Amino acid sequence: MSPIVTFSAVDKFYGSFQVLRGIDLEVARGEVVVVIGASGSGKSTLIRCVNGLEMYQRGRLVVDGYDMPNAEDRELVGEKGLADIRKGVGMVFQQFNLFPHKTVLENIALAPVRVRKKSRHEAEATARRLLARVGLESQAAKYPAQLSGGQQQRVAIARSLAMEPHVMLFDEPTSALDPEMVGEVLDVMRELAAEGMTMMIVTHEMGFAREVADRVVYIDRGSILEVGSPQAIFDTPQNERTQMFLSRVLKH
Amino acid sequence: MTAWPLRWARRNLFATPLDGALSLLVIPTGLWLIYALAVWACRDAQWSVLGDSMRVMMVGVYPADALWRAWTAAVILAALAGATVGLVVKDDPFALLGGAALGILVCASLLAGRDLADAGWAAVACLAAAAGWLAMAKLPATRRALPLAWLLGFALAGGIFAGPGFDAWGGLLLSIILTIAVSALTLPLGILLALGRQSRIASLRICCTAYIEVFRAVPLILVVYWVWIVVPLLLPDLSVSGVVRGVVGYTVFFCAYVAEYVRSGLQAVPRGQVEAARSLGMGTWTLNTQVVLPQAIKVVIPALVGNMLDIFNAATLVFIIGLTDFLRAGQMILADPRFGNLTYEVYAFLFLVYFAIGSLITFTARSLEGSLATGR
Ligand SMILES: Nc1ncnc2c1ncn2[C@@H]1O[C@H](COP(=O)(O)OP(=O)(O)O)[C@@H](O)[C@H]1O
Ligand SMILES: [Mg+2]
Repeated sequence: MSPIVTFSAVDKFYGSFQVLRGIDLEVARGEVVVVIGASGSGKSTLIRCVNGLEMYQRGRLVVDGYDMPNAEDRELVGEKGLADIRKGVGMVFQQFNLFPHKTVLENIALAPVRVRKKSRHEAEATARRLLARVGLESQAAKYPAQLSGGQQQRVAIARSLAMEPHVMLFDEPTSALDPEMVGEVLDVMRELAAEGMTMMIVTHEMGFAREVADRVVYIDRGSILEVGSPQAIFDTPQNERTQMFLSRVLKH
Repeated sequence: MTAWPLRWARRNLFATPLDGALSLLVIPTGLWLIYALAVWACRDAQWSVLGDSMRVMMVGVYPADALWRAWTAAVILAALAGATVGLVVKDDPFALLGGAALGILVCASLLAGRDLADAGWAAVACLAAAAGWLAMAKLPATRRALPLAWLLGFALAGGIFAGPGFDAWGGLLLSIILTIAVSALTLPLGILLALGRQSRIASLRICCTAYIEVFRAVPLILVVYWVWIVVPLLLPDLSVSGVVRGVVGYTVFFCAYVAEYVRSGLQAVPRGQVEAARSLGMGTWTLNTQVVLPQAIKVVIPALVGNMLDIFNAATLVFIIGLTDFLRAGQMILADPRFGNLTYEVYAFLFLVYFAIGSLITFTARSLEGSLATGR
């Protein structure tokens, strides 16, 4: 089968500052790719390109068989067409970004009703099933502000899953959480991986990366310096900068 | 226990020599003013003028045999107003006592004018307000229905009141209906302007920005007068009544202000909300109606209520296009030679009514601000 995400020589600039440099990367269906790298190296930018939250200037990016428009095309077509591809690409943010004025159930059922045009009844039944899956079936009627960070992030994952995505993007999903809540979110992600969900995950949880990743990507100042199995990257990193980065983060 | 008034006075009125001196100056002057006012109000003032002219002040030159229409409209509006207050005031005893006292005062003064029918209608209006308040404050389930109730109720009230034609409208009821109509019309228009100002499409963005900036830079009277003149030029075959032209003029002007309030609300919605909605595949319409606007409007509700007060106070300017609003009606009464020397009585009444309605609106805005800040 064709890869679900293909970056070919993608360059991205903020003004004259180049954030991504010649990115080449393929993500196969069912694969779990973990992106690691220092803060400011361009990890968020990389995965935000996949659902068009960021635009790239040069190269080619194909997602789920769909040519993502580059910055120049976006000038002309705006957000049009992107909504279609985004239906199949879930995204989980560091800050959860739940809708604060809607209940947990409404948060999850909103997009299926409004975007997928499901009946409210069906969408809410699905939402309850997903809530049970992330262990929050009793919280359906609450508002996000009434939940802990870990619970909010699990709701955010359920909200993405409700759209039945073909690939899920995670941008540091546990970085805003108190340490004791990290585990409950990682458990949900582990389950997803085991069920065969395609995932691109930016994280600093190296133990988790080693455990669930099919491949690990090390990115440094906008370039992919090294790609390989978790064992290859964590045990025998080839690049000097990868070694330095890992020795810094693994010390803790 | 017995000493606390003394302690309070000492701390608040005589804490420093300057405080003391000011208190010695202000307190006696204030007491004397109140005394003089009370003497005038109870002994010298001829309040009977109000009974004789109440009808004109409330509804202008509305035909007497159609008065039931005006009263029905007033009853509907009173119920809606009561319900809206019930949204924010649930069991504050002072507010409730104040409301009850006001209702009794209104009915009693109409009784004193020996007009039983009017007093009866006023009592019904007060009861309607109380019922509206009760429904809203005690049955939370009715809250969702309030916007729809306003829409239908206001249309119904306007339709009934408009029986003898728009040109018959006048007095306080005109001021109130004008305020509500303009507030209701400016909200959707202001939202569209605010969204247009942020649009990706340059021509739309420029038009909306220009509109907002132009109408915020010119005086209201100019706009109202200009619309009053231009509408008949644009629609020569239609005779559009002055009231409608007035509503259009005020709406054209005030929607620029509403747009700016809404824009400040839009800016308060975090970027992450838009990104999350976009990530779920939402288009611009769903994104705005479901995610961004509900959060933005909630932030600016107090400002929008305040804007309503601005509209109400500015409604006094409709006299320049020949309409008889509340203030103008009071002046008309003074133009009658029988009442010519009763200026103070009439203006005191105008002042009190404007003050009462203005305070009610400000109070509602404050309470909303409070409950929105603490609530979810
Ligand atoms: N909107 C922006 N404008 C300009 N520079 C930005 C913007 N967003 C991110 N950057 C820069 O791009 C680089 C990569 O950012 P990011 O992808 O967020 O890094 P990471 O997620 O790896 O920490 C950083 O140097 C950051 O300062
Ligand atoms: Mg980041």
